[in-house]
Amino acid sequence: MKVGLENLKERARTGDFKKFRTEMSDDITKEPAFDAMPMVRKAARCMKLACEAQKPLIYPDERIVFTRTVGNLIGCASVGNICAAWDMALSQGLLGRKQVALQTLERMRDDPKAVDFLESCIETIDAVLEMTARYAEEARRQENEDLATVLDHVPANPPRTFHEALQSFKIMHSALWLSGTCHVTLGRFDQYMWPYLKADLDAGLLTEAEAEELLAEFFISFNKDTDLYPGVQQGDNGQSLMLGGVTREGRDAVNPLTSMVLRVSYDVNMIDPKINLRVNKDTDLELLREAARLTKRGLGFPQYANDDVEIEALAAHGYDIEDARDYTVAACWEFIIPGHGMDIPAISACSFPAAADKAIREGFAADESFDRIMDRARDNVKAQVELAVEKAEQRLEPAPSPFYSVLMYNCVETGRDISDGGVKYYNYGIHGSGSSNAADALAAVRKFVFEDKTIGREELLDALDKNFDGYDDLFRKLHDEGPKVGNNDDYVDSILARLFDYFADACEAAGNNNQGGIIRAGTGSAMYYVWLVRRGRDKQTEPVVDATADGRRRGDFIGSSLAPSPGVRVSGPVSVLQSFSKIDYNRVCNGGPITLELSDTVFRDEESVEKVAMLIKTFARIGCQQLQINTLNVERLRDAKKHPEQHGNLIVRVWGWSGYFVELDEPYQDHIISRHMLTL
Amino acid sequence: MVGPAGERLVGREYASGELAGILNRQAEILRMNDGGVTFSGGEPLMQAAFVLDVMNRLDNIHVLLDTSGYADEDDFRMVVEKSDLVHFDLKLADPRAHARYTGKDNALILGNLRVLSEMGKPFIARIPLVPGITDTAENLTAIAGTIKGSKGLLRAELLPYNRAAGGKYRACGMEFRPNYDENRDVNANTGVFRKAGIEVKVC
Repeated sequence: MKVGLENLKERARTGDFKKFRTEMSDDITKEPAFDAMPMVRKAARCMKLACEAQKPLIYPDERIVFTRTVGNLIGCASVGNICAAWDMALSQGLLGRKQVALQTLERMRDDPKAVDFLESCIETIDAVLEMTARYAEEARRQENEDLATVLDHVPANPPRTFHEALQSFKIMHSALWLSGTCHVTLGRFDQYMWPYLKADLDAGLLTEAEAEELLAEFFISFNKDTDLYPGVQQGDNGQSLMLGGVTREGRDAVNPLTSMVLRVSYDVNMIDPKINLRVNKDTDLELLREAARLTKRGLGFPQYANDDVEIEALAAHGYDIEDARDYTVAACWEFIIPGHGMDIPAISACSFPAAADKAIREGFAADESFDRIMDRARDNVKAQVELAVEKAEQRLEPAPSPFYSVLMYNCVETGRDISDGGVKYYNYGIHGSGSSNAADALAAVRKFVFEDKTIGREELLDALDKNFDGYDDLFRKLHDEGPKVGNNDDYVDSILARLFDYFADACEAAGNNNQGGIIRAGTGSAMYYVWLVRRGRDKQTEPVVDATADGRRRGDFIGSSLAPSPGVRVSGPVSVLQSFSKIDYNRVCNGGPITLELSDTVFRDEESVEKVAMLIKTFARIGCQQLQINTLNVERLRDAKKHPEQHGNLIVRVWGWSGYFVELDEPYQDHIISRHMLTL
Repeated sequence: MVGPAGERLVGREYASGELAGILNRQAEILRMNDGGVTFSGGEPLMQAAFVLDVMNRLDNIHVLLDTSGYADEDDFRMVVEKSDLVHFDLKLADPRAHARYTGKDNALILGNLRVLSEMGKPFIARIPLVPGITDTAENLTAIAGTIKGSKGLLRAELLPYNRAAGGKYRACGMEFRPNYDENRDVNANTGVFRKAGIEVKVC
């Protein structure tokens, strides 16, 4: 990578710009005049104050600018973890959106709520434009006429070049962060950005190499300021980007920018933006090879999604077919619709291990059959879903978000904030965590207690209560000899599939949430792979399990999303895919990837890229939904724990995002070290 | 793998039909991935009849036989016939050195190598590099000379020394006393093969 880009990278990592940060005073929020304003106006005012407090900061070597100088934000939060209508935001520009707002305002003068909303939208637009104007001024002061020209034009107007498009995006994206939101996703980047790049290339204004340099700088910029973005761990900031797939009309959407992003992400080698790629069973093998090369880099990118499975699943869940074809991902992996969706796809997690454990203990106490125990598991899943929805409806008060609304379809056109029904979709999603551990536990009970009768109920209950103390042989038998998910073994895989059927049934039975949306079952775990075995938050409603019948001691981790139980014997990556292909994804559409960790020794020979490409094709052809392939070197991870100062740039895949290993809290580090290492 | 008292340390018994059933479940995926099944070991030809039976029951899957070549000629022929590709180990060309370091003469192995060439089955000659023993210019030149011109030869592969042997000895309750220096770098002498016009790869 060129020296200039290396310098930008270095600065992003070391954070020289942090010395320019200031804190905003929240005095204004205490004023009665402020307090009396409706929520939507407060939101706009707080954003305006944040924009005003932003000092234009331009380093002489930057061509794409914006750096946060406001350290804190005051006042109202905004909706988050969604995807703006970036194509529209770019092609209309903020003045174009303002025009629409003014026109709607004219029409809806007699509707006070609409007036509050639209005037708030206009306030936020003006705030962003004013802030940009000061950036342009600063550029002029530094005698950077080129940059000043760009900033005079965007984001107010539609971009005239690829450079302007990237700069426009950067400001609007950064402005969203200033509005108090979290997890600002980038959506289908290769779709909305390609026309601008194509025009420059066709006109000879830019060479491919020059475009890649600009793109690299653009990508590097997403790695600044992330310490200010809220998330569960450092790196969990939702800046996900989707590539490939099909158009709204169902045609192949891959274009030259698709593979350019893969290459540039490889070169930049940083944790943001987080690359996702939509594939299907016929995806061109050369594109899969490009993706496999990026996988080889070890960032945990790309995360793969299977169009053949997911588009149909979304349509089956009530999404319009064009919208279903247009899907992207939220912060981690949850499938959402750009511009049209206010889905909250991570309201909670269903703990399959807790559902199974409770069923086993109570079923044994009542001397019931295995079928009755499965019924209990089904009821436990249902109870967890009901509780999750109930808590979400109490807790989730969608915050009025005028600036986000400006960048979504329909809101400004109809005078309704996104939090108030301005867009199409208001569904909830629930993660479905620890599915392998639960299936393994139920399968062990069926085999050893009911069929072989080599373990007694009393014995097992006592062992679980005692955390297997004094029960080493029993522990070993359950852990080593029980049927395990990940071996393409129908005996236990059928139980896995049934657990997800119960989950889908429960979500369907839960009906509509209080915004008229449905509940979507998912396969992910996110941080619940720790929180369901070691309480994550005091007020956490999701149950925590102790020792479980799959041969798991209290505190031992469960798998990340769809993965075999940590530490158990699995036949290999193909068997893992086959096990997870048996879930009915048409009914379980929220998302949550199969997580494969490959030993980095896999990538030592030239054939490895080909093998990984074919593995991705296999993933699509056998009907799986989502896939993450990570590379690990356990020795290096262990060394990084001992000597973090020597491994400052070691990147690992945590769950739906990648982070710097040394910045993670210990439980997350340990989870990663404990994962299976597979080879091809 | 068997322990000092004859107890099984690692491994499971399968009936041939059972094993073929397990392998056939992945047949489609293996084909999709230009992959297949490898019979290796130990020495698969020590269970030649079993291996042949499983091969016969496979559902159009590519079969690779990984063998030392130390087997009865008829067994060798029958199993190779059913294979698509052979990995043939060659350690030492000189019969005396071979007897000294492996405990067995290499006449049978060289004989089977000729059979392999006659049959024209695609094969790869695999040469484990044991420092100071097999990686000498003399040995590699002799091996190159032996395989040169063999019908079906795809390439030679040089396999750097694998330290797993010591662990296996110890697991079986035996002492591992190599008469060479395990820590010495191996001489992956590809030049010898290139000079003989044989494609060569270091693994």
